[in-house]
Parts: sequence; C-alpha cells; structure tokens
Amino acid sequence: MSSGADTAERTSGVTPAAGRDPAGGRGARARPAGQDPATAAASRPGNDPEAADASGGLDRSLFRYIWRHSKRDQILICGVVLASLPLYFASLDLPRRIVNEAIQGHAFEKGNETAKFLVLRLQMPDWFGHDIALFPGFDVDRFELLFGLSSMFLLLVLINGAFKYWINVAKGALGERMLRRLRFQLFSLIMRFSPESLRQTKASEVATIIRDEVEPIGGFIGDAYILPAFLGTQAATAMTFILLQNVWLGLLAAGVVGIQFVVIPRLRRELLRLGRQRQLASRRLAGRVGEVVDGIAAVHSNGAEAWERAEIGHRLGGLFDLRLRIYQRKFMVKFLNNLLAQMTPFLFYCIGGYFALKGQLSIGQLVAVIAAYRDLPPPLKELIDWDQQRLDVQVKYEQVLQQFLPERLIGLDAPGRDESLCGRLAAEGLGVQEPHGPVLANVSLSLPLPALIGIVSDGGPAASTFAEVLARLAVPTSGRLTLDDRDLAEWSGAALTRRIAYAGVDPILFPGSLRDNIVYGLNRRPPDAALVTDAKALAEARRTGNPVAPFPADWIDYEQAGVTDAAALDALILDWLTRIGMGEEVYRFGLLGQVDPERHPELAARLIEARIAFRERLAAQGRAHLVEPFDPARYNRQATVAENLLFGVPTTTALTGRALAEHAVVRLVLDRTGLADELVTMGERIAATMLEIFQGLPSGHPLFEQFSFLSADELPEYEAILARRTATEASAARHGGGTLDRVRRRWIGLGRYGSADATRLIALPLAYIEPRHRLGLIDDAFRGRLVEARAQLRAALDEAGMGGVDFYDPDRVCAAAPLRDNLLFGRINQSVADAVETVTATGTALVQEMQLAPAITRVGLDHQVGPEGRFLSSVQRAVVSLVRALIRRPDLLVLDGALSPMGETRARTVLGLLLERFGRENSLVVVLPNDRLADRFQLVLRAAGTQIHGPESQEPETPATPAASPGEMRAGAGAAAPAAALSGRAGDETGSVRVEQDVKA
Amino acid sequence: MTLETEVQSLRKVPMFREVDPARLKLLAFTSERVHFADGQRFFDRGDAADAAYLILDGEAAVTLDGPQGPIRLALLGANALVGEMGILADQPRSATVTAVVPTTALRIDRRVFLELLSQFPQIAIAVMRELAHRLEMTNQQLAQVRTG
Repeated sequence: MSSGADTAERTSGVTPAAGRDPAGGRGARARPAGQDPATAAASRPGNDPEAADASGGLDRSLFRYIWRHSKRDQILICGVVLASLPLYFASLDLPRRIVNEAIQGHAFEKGNETAKFLVLRLQMPDWFGHDIALFPGFDVDRFELLFGLSSMFLLLVLINGAFKYWINVAKGALGERMLRRLRFQLFSLIMRFSPESLRQTKASEVATIIRDEVEPIGGFIGDAYILPAFLGTQAATAMTFILLQNVWLGLLAAGVVGIQFVVIPRLRRELLRLGRQRQLASRRLAGRVGEVVDGIAAVHSNGAEAWERAEIGHRLGGLFDLRLRIYQRKFMVKFLNNLLAQMTPFLFYCIGGYFALKGQLSIGQLVAVIAAYRDLPPPLKELIDWDQQRLDVQVKYEQVLQQFLPERLIGLDAPGRDESLCGRLAAEGLGVQEPHGPVLANVSLSLPLPALIGIVSDGGPAASTFAEVLARLAVPTSGRLTLDDRDLAEWSGAALTRRIAYAGVDPILFPGSLRDNIVYGLNRRPPDAALVTDAKALAEARRTGNPVAPFPADWIDYEQAGVTDAAALDALILDWLTRIGMGEEVYRFGLLGQVDPERHPELAARLIEARIAFRERLAAQGRAHLVEPFDPARYNRQATVAENLLFGVPTTTALTGRALAEHAVVRLVLDRTGLADELVTMGERIAATMLEIFQGLPSGHPLFEQFSFLSADELPEYEAILARRTATEASAARHGGGTLDRVRRRWIGLGRYGSADATRLIALPLAYIEPRHRLGLIDDAFRGRLVEARAQLRAALDEAGMGGVDFYDPDRVCAAAPLRDNLLFGRINQSVADAVETVTATGTALVQEMQLAPAITRVGLDHQVGPEGRFLSSVQRAVVSLVRALIRRPDLLVLDGALSPMGETRARTVLGLLLERFGRENSLVVVLPNDRLADRFQLVLRAAGTQIHGPESQEPETPATPAASPGEMRAGAGAAAPAAALSGRAGDETGSVRVEQDVKA
Repeated sequence: MTLETEVQSLRKVPMFREVDPARLKLLAFTSERVHFADGQRFFDRGDAADAAYLILDGEAAVTLDGPQGPIRLALLGANALVGEMGILADQPRSATVTAVVPTTALRIDRRVFLELLSQFPQIAIAVMRELAHRLEMTNQQLAQVRTG
C-alpha cells in the first residue's frame, strides 16, 4: 500500500507550471498592457517562475482555484477511492453469505458435503444476464466455509482500512500544500498593496487573515472534490445494495435521505450568515487589539484604559451573542438530523421484519440490509457536513478575496531598463492628488544628475511628496518623470529600487541584529536553488509555488556594496558608523555582546591572550587586588553565591536567578553536600534582616528595587515563612527533640520547613555577596564546601546531560558571557574606591594596544535592535536607517528628515560628510525645512503651495569643510528650534498638516 | 566587619544619634563600604557632591589648595562624617579630602540619603537638629569675633 502511495506522490509531483494558465490570474491583468505574463516571467533574470505564479491572482471561485492547482492530485485520489469501492461492496455482501451459506447452511442444503469456496465471479442482477466465472473455487465443508468467509471478511476490513489510511494522508498533504500556496500567494499580494490600500489596512487584520482565516479553507481543500466523490459513491453503493435486496426498503431509505438533503441545508443557511458576521467581527477584534497594543503608550498617557477595556468588552459581548445564536441554531439542526437518521432503522426493523416474517425477505438479507444501512447515515451526514463546510469556506474565501482585490494592488514588476541614473532628470506636468486635494500640481522642472539638490520646504507637504515621488514611494497621479527624455516607467522596478535609496523621518527597523538591519537593502541576490540540500523541501516548494531559493542563507549582494566578502562589508559598515559618530556606541555594544568562538575564532583566541595580559598589567601596576579572577579551585568573594556555585553562565532559565533553587540537580547536590541546610539558615537571616530594615517603606519604593533581596510584595510571604518556622520550633521544643523524633517529624512533613518554604529561603542567599551586603553570613568553611559542591554540580549536570551552563574556563572563551567579562575573567573588587574606573581605563588601554577594538566593534554589530528597533535610541535608529541606505551605494539618495533625530550639530556634520561623498557619480536629494543650509547644495528647489520652483543653480561652498561658516553660526543660534534646521519635516506646521492627512485618510 | 559594626559607627555620629537602629541599618545596608589607599582622594574640591562618607577606620585630611601647596584644614578620624553638607546643599565640594593612611569608609549615596530623608521624618528631624545646632555654634563664634 505504501509503495503505491509513494508512486502516486511522485507521479503527481508536477504542479501546473507558472503562467501557463491561460487566465493568468488577475495579477496578470493588472500588468501593463502588452506584456505577456509567460514571457515576462521567463525573461526576468534571476526570478523564479514560482514567484510569478505566486503573484498571479486568486480565482474568484474557490473550486476553480483548487482545481487549477491540484487537479492531478485530486484525480489521483479520486481514482484510488473508486478502486477501493468494489472491495467495499464485497465487504458489505460478506455478512449475508456468512449467515445464509455458512451458518444457516444454505450452501449445503441439497445434501452436499462440501461447498465451493472462493468462487470468483462477477455477481450480476438477473436482468443483466449470467454471472461471469473467474475461478471455480475450492471444495470446503461447513466449518471451513464459515472460517474461510470470516477470514475473508477480516481481510477486507484490513484492506479497506489501508485504503482509508492512504486516502486520508494524501488528502491531508494535498490540503496543506494548497494552504501553503494560498498563504504564500496572499503574502505576495500584500507586497503588492498600493500605498492607498496600505493606508486603509490594519496590520493585525491582515495577519489574522493569513494565519487564521485561511486555515479552514486549507482543511477543506483536501476534501473539496474527494469527499463528495468518496462518500457519494460509498452512499450510493450502500443504497444500491439495499435496493438490490429489497426495492421497498431501498425506496424508504432513499426517501428519508432525500428529506435530509433538502431540509437540513435550508436550515443551515442562517448559520452561514451568522458565521460570516462572526468572521468579520473577530477579524475586527484582532485589528482592534493590535491597534491598542501598538498605541499602548497613548492609552496609558491618556488614561484611557477603562474606555479601551469597555470597548473590547463590548466587542466580546457581540461575539458571544453571535456564537450563542450559532450554537442554538447548530444544535437544533443537529437534533433534527439525528432524528431523521434514527427514523430509518425504526422503519427497517418494523417493515423489514414484516417482510421477513412474510417470507418475502430472507433473514440474511435483512441482516445485510441493516448492516448496509448502518453504513449509510455516516457518509450521508458527512456529505451534508461537507456541503455546509463548502458554503462556509466559500464565504470565507470570498471575504479573504475582498481584501486582495486587483484595484488594491500595484502592477507586477516588468523587466525594463537598468541604466545608471545620470543625465537630465525632468518632471513633466507632475501632479499628486490626495483625497483632500492636490499636493503637487503640474510641476515641471529639469535637473542635471548627478547633483547635490536641496528642496526647501515651505512648511507644506509639497517638498516631502516631491521627494517621495523621486524615491518612488509616492505614485504621481498625473505627469511623468523622464531621464534624458526616456520615461522612468521604462526602467524595471527592481533596477530602480536598487538605484534609489530613501531614508525618512521614521526609520523602520526589523527585529534582528544591527548588521541584519543595515544590510537589509543588500538582501537581493537569491542564492542558487542548487545549494538547497534538502531535495524533499525543494520539491515541496516547487509543488506549492513557493520560492525555491535557500533560506536562511547568504542573500547579500556584496558587489552592490562594492566589497568582496562579509568581513569587508563589516569593515565598510563600521567605517560609516564611525564617521556618522556611532562607532563608540557599537564598541560598547560589542563589549556587552557575546563572542561565539566558532564565528570569531581569531577574536576568541586573542581574548584569551588579552585576558592574561590584562592580569599581568594589573599586577605590574600593583592593582592586582582590584580584580578577583575566576579560579576553579577558589571561591570568588566578589561574585554571588549562585555564580560561585555554577561557576559559569546559565544558558537556560531553569538555572538562572532564583530558579536555581528549584532545579532538581542543583538541589540534589546541595542536599548531598549539606549546603542546603546552611543556605536555608542564610536565607532565614537575610529574610529577617530585610523584614527588619525595609519594613515601613512603601511598596514600589525605588530603594526596594535597588537594594532589597525581597520585593515589597514578598515581604508578607517571607514573614509568614519565618512565623511558621517559629511555630514548628516551639512545638518541637514542647515535644522534646530526640534525633528519632526529628527524623520522624521531618518524615511526616513537620520539619523546620516544608520543602516549598525551604526553596523560597534558599533562593535568597543565591544573590548574596559578602563584601557588598556585609551581613556576615559567609565563612571560610562555607567557601570550601561551596567550591566542592561546584565540582560536584558540574559532574552532576554533565551526567544528567542537560547542559544549561557555559562553564568558566581560564583557557577558553565563555560564549554565554559578555565579551567584557571574558576579557576581565573575574569580578571587580567593588569595595576598593574607584576600582571600576581604574580597571576600565587599564582595559581600554590594553584593547587599544592589542588593536582589539575593530574586532570588538564587529561583535557589536550583532547587537539586537529589538522589535521595531526599540532597544536603540532614536538617534541610533536614524543612523542605522541612514547607513542602510548608504551601504547600497545608490545612484540617487533621497533624505527627508532622516537626520533630524541626530540634533543640530551632529546632523550638520553628517550632512557635510554626505555632501562630500555625493555629487560626482551619484546624486543626493535632501528636503530642507528652511533656507539655512540651502547654500551648501548645487541646486536648490523651492516648494510653494502645490508647486516646486527651481532649480536655482549655485556654487556650493566647499563641501569638504563642514565647519560652520559665520552665517551658519548665527543661524544655529537663531530663534528657530535648533534641531529643526535639518529636520526635513520642517517643524510643527508640517507635522500638523501630516496628522490631518492621516486622519482624513 | 559587618553591618552591625557600621551601625555602631553611625550611632556615634551626632546627626544620627537619635535615629532608630533599624533605620540606621537600612542606611548602612544601602551604603557601600569602600577602601582608600594611603594618599587616595575621597574627592577633590569642585567635584560634584554625590556622596557623604563616614570614616570607619583610618584617617583622612581635609585640605584646600593654597599658593604654597595644600593647606590642611582638619584631620578626620574614625566615626567622622564628611561631605554631608555638600549633598544637602547640592553644591560642589568646598575642599579636598584625602586618605592619609589606608582608610575604610562608608559611602552614603546622595540620592539614597535624600530618599531616606523624605521617607523617614525621624532622620530628617535629626539632620535638621544637627544643622540648627551647627548654625547656633556659628552664630556664637560670630558674636565672639564681633565682641572680641
């Protein structure tokens, strides 16, 4: 069975090729006229046909869509279903033969000692003609016949089960493949949303569509054609069988079935309507929750929590109401359905029994009819369910489709020119219309590129919009842009996005490292599909119209950055970051970053070298006492008890912080070495001290956060733990304290502490450092025992094979620890005045001498920026966004407010740097809020209302000297907000205009 | 030396004499114990006043830079509190303080100290009493200078 399945998988492995479909989907229709989709896809260099297929549209009808992409699989599975039917029929017929021939002995009626078994013949109804004999059969006696027939019945059951198994697996795979394709297509379509439709789209709603709403569609696809075929034929077989046995009984069953088929779907129509409402309501709920989360800061600052809670509560109420109505309806329909289904057996027993008593029907026939009928309702019920699901899913599909209508999409990228953007760039009657009115109207001007161009804003949106048109972020509603009299529309979109870069006022960062974000614009070279080693994954991707390019893999187009490899690219990035003034910060990220010895083997080796040099240098300066090094055989007094116990950095949360006290292996070692009791005693003393000295401080007081071992909420809890101890101790004292008694008490859970209490207490001293906290809890004996426990714990953890700790090793880099700790390999003695400053200075000098700074800074590129770059400051985000644009070496760089977060002085320096770099081979366009810096540009455009005037040509002041001229100095000290001088978005008026636009949009 | 001994030292400071032991323990716990080598500066004149120091062990000299080198104003021994006026007045250091032998001191952070003052009126009153007492002394000295 399974080998058959494999063959089937292979033979059906060819998907309808991309673009071969004559309809071409609605995506193809959105393409500029005159482009044949197939040739377009084929001639586009480096593009997968799958991509073209994916961006092709979705059919209006779900069934057409399914048929288009899965007809081979559907037909194959249907074929297998049909092939299984004769056997199924045989398994229905067997019970009759077992009863009639073997048990009642009809086969031996005429005094025959034996009967024929396994006679293979096609049993035909009388009106069809004679049976066709295939095999004469064996002679068997009565018992042999019974066992033979029964075994055959069992065999058929097994074969039918195997068929069912294969069909279900194939159906599941088919559905999942189609779901993968559908999701991928929807995602591809999102990439093509036009700017206007993006403005109306809520991210969380679209995410809900792709994640949740298509799920049932996928589940249904596997059943779309096969289920009706399978169950329909099954039901028809059963029905035919009943009809053959007795026409009246057959008609009776058919009648009931007919009623079920007519009445139930009618009742279910209302259900569908409610289902549709529910889908929309829950999608809106997801959208609303997303909005609130995105704007949570505004919710808090406006104190709107109660309002938002009420709003969501109202929505949930609505959803509940809908669901309730759906349930009421649904279960009523179910009740009716069950009633009708149970009606038939009643009639069978009643009427069939009547016929049997009258002798018009043999008992064997009646048993077989009832057995056949037992198989009839499930397929019927499932068929009705299928029909319901079909309507439901079709509705869902249409709802999804509504979000992806062709008018919401921009055309597919067509191949075109790919030439450098040098020459005369001209705007011809350019206009941009927004819902509230024109932003740009009939702008005509011409700019010789490459050039340094400043666009001086008049406070309105025209300058920014013009910059967006140049950067191809806004689509002109009239007019065109030409380069040397050739329409820019002739260029391929891919070429233009490569040649034009834009950095705006709101940098968009993705979660990942600094490096990931900076090279984002270079991820344009899909690696060869041949590199994919997983042939199965590749075949699946092909089958489902997904991209075949390997991922994750190196997608970086080094050539575009002008470098040969990753190391050179890092150097280039660091060079830019340093020039823009973020080098120091990235170095600090590097110090806090982790060194993976496998990725940075050279740095890892040098770190060990530097670690030794560091110690020697401190010793030479007579400052060895400032750092207490990690020594496997010694307790580090400057480190916490937990650090000393683990002697490494935990890599799982189960070994981090207080969780250590609950870790089974740790507890085992602590109990074995007797440290557990000692730690409990320490915990007691810490808890008592904290209770004493922090009592009376209001909870949430900053001193708690900073100093206390306990948070304010925990004070009562630990108070209770200590009180329980006093109580049990008092009781122990009353009842005498023999060893036996203590053991007994411990055994029955009346030890000094319950195990939960003990764990809570052990958690406290884990963070204890004697020189810092000075409670006098640690003596040399404890230190000795802890170092012993350290070795035992390591052995126990190794034995348990759980890992979870990256142990300190003087000769190895600890990958889980920050680079700085690896360099220091010890803890600074905090009780020496100015120790941190002194050690830092020594370390910095050493890093400089050993020339480790570049490598450390490179580690800093691995720094995670967090969701939307929230781990970075706004200045850092702006720098990342700018370097991302610069690293691509664009022909044309458009900046609109990209420098404003950096502040006046720094922005001016950066602008000087850019003016120095651009203007010879590539052009720079900067939106300026005012005239102050306009004289630094070769060409100046001025926005006025909906017009852009210019260009005014001028000799720029030597851009090589960014130092401020006296005029600029005055300007810098002028009345306007200093940071706004380069901020593009020109101060508050522009801001408010934009807000208005957003509101109207 | 533990927290307890520091509390004993704090109790010997006139300013804290009346304060609850539990509060003094909190003050000690939230402070750092630091060691100064012979000749190491606590702070220089003109530095921002970020902490007060209670000398637990050793000696420190209060000096001002004069034309002929530093002029020693005072020599502080164990249980002396130094730098508290600076953190209360939020003014730069008015003199330089240097350890003259290896010295251990309790560094009372300014922010934490002010936090404790605002939280526990008892400590605030003790500080006010001490300041008023000093003012009174100064007035008397002034009167003596005028009449003398």
